Amino acid sequence: MAEIGHGGKEIVERILPPGEAARAVEGLTPYPVRDQIANEVIDIAYGWFTPLEGFMGRADADSVIRKMELADGTVWSIPIVFDMSEAEIAEYGVKEGGRLLLTYQGNPLAILDVEEIWTYDMEEMCTAIFGTAEMKHPGVARTCGYKEKFIGGKVTLVNRPRINPVFEPYFIPPLEMRRRFREKGWAAIVVHQTRNVPHTGHEWLMKGAWAQAYGGLPIERPMVGVLVNAIIGQKRKGDYIDEAIILCQDELRKAGYFGDHNHMTSLTFWDMRYAGPKEAVFHACIRVNLGCTHHMYGRDHAGVGDYYDPYDAHRLLQSIPKEKLNITPVYSMNWLYCPHCGEITSEGLCNHKSEWQKFSGTLIRSIVMDGVKPPRLIFRPEVFDLVMECADRYGFGSPFVTDEYLAKRTPVFTIPPLG
Amino acid sequence: MAEEKFPINIWVNEERYQKLHEAELAHLCQEKLAGMKVIQVFATEAQKDRILKLFPTAKFDASTTRSIELLPRKVKDAIFDMVVRKKKVDVLEDFLNEYEASGGA
Repeated sequence: MAEIGHGGKEIVERILPPGEAARAVEGLTPYPVRDQIANEVIDIAYGWFTPLEGFMGRADADSVIRKMELADGTVWSIPIVFDMSEAEIAEYGVKEGGRLLLTYQGNPLAILDVEEIWTYDMEEMCTAIFGTAEMKHPGVARTCGYKEKFIGGKVTLVNRPRINPVFEPYFIPPLEMRRRFREKGWAAIVVHQTRNVPHTGHEWLMKGAWAQAYGGLPIERPMVGVLVNAIIGQKRKGDYIDEAIILCQDELRKAGYFGDHNHMTSLTFWDMRYAGPKEAVFHACIRVNLGCTHHMYGRDHAGVGDYYDPYDAHRLLQSIPKEKLNITPVYSMNWLYCPHCGEITSEGLCNHKSEWQKFSGTLIRSIVMDGVKPPRLIFRPEVFDLVMECADRYGFGSPFVTDEYLAKRTPVFTIPPLG
Repeated sequence: MAEEKFPINIWVNEERYQKLHEAELAHLCQEKLAGMKVIQVFATEAQKDRILKLFPTAKFDASTTRSIELLPRKVKDAIFDMVVRKKKVDVLEDFLNEYEASGGA
């Protein structure tokens, strides 16, 4: 049975079997790619980026920038591009109609069919995607750091990544994810986008979204799941380490705050662009491909600094017709602690406004950095203990990203030699 | 209109509470988050900007708490020690001046 993903296109894994791969790469010029490109190659090949079959040519990128859709009209909000310098193009003999063997960690990763070599005005690209061309915006800095030429063309994986321990159970590509959803019998799946260890505000956000997604479905058996989809990509100092994020999200299920019948944790490789509303749309596209029916959006989704109004993402999503983006946004208000109620509650529910104790992921990180254990109403003890265990086991003594962690950590995946 | 001031939340565990008690400052602790104790040191707008420049990992939580967060542990410890030593919470200007004069040591 064909699996239909974003834009009404079939999800197809673009991956060659080993024998065929070995033959296909013979004689190709190897070109080593950086982490971001390796992540995106894997996303394309496994179908996370359906309908994309490769890196964008100029027509698609220009249409995304100007109209937030691919050239064929499919909603898409962030250009997926492969950059090379002119010197590299000359050095590696890259020509339209040719092929390049992309390597990572010294081993073959994928074939890139070079269909087009193109350029674009980077300031125009940044202004359209991020609403600013200021270099202090991390997405702008990343985009302006691209080399001067782009290569458009299809990508075919020749070597499956070996996902390293801790992360392996959470690497669930779109076709496999959809199979698991069917096994669980879930009729609705609401996805929680995260780069965080969960505090109880997150937990109640998920529980609120679960209830909203349940709607009028029958209650005789579990029919709605929460999919935690952690974004794993470039880390910034002070972020939670990846191991803590993924394991602590799953701990909510293991410790019984959720169960197998309504909760699953997974990952997607992606370097955040912090594009706010445009990234919110992008997240929706990839979660359609995972088979999700609903997508949670809190305030300032994928924002940074004060570049976006907290509800810009909601407004942009509301402007897209359902037939063009087949996922239901679930918007949420802030969750907070009310000492009068003695519980976590929502701005939209509780009327003890003068007593509200607001908290955020940043505030919780600050408490953990101070070495103080938050109360269970704010941070589940099992999760806190696991954060500290992750600091010892994976973070060189800290649950937060440090220079030492960046230098010595085990990579999330390894590309083995071509067998 | 009074100038807005931005808190640095120093979360208080038993050890910190004992030191505040000995400095006769325990009464300045507030119950902040589901019973957690905190002592707050306030920054002016200009001090906030100096802090964010001096400590790049620090973040001003503009959307939720309007507090300065994610200062390194040793910086928080040093501010706390100065609070105890000077027996007051209005120590930030002194702390920043000392920190800058020492070249961040």
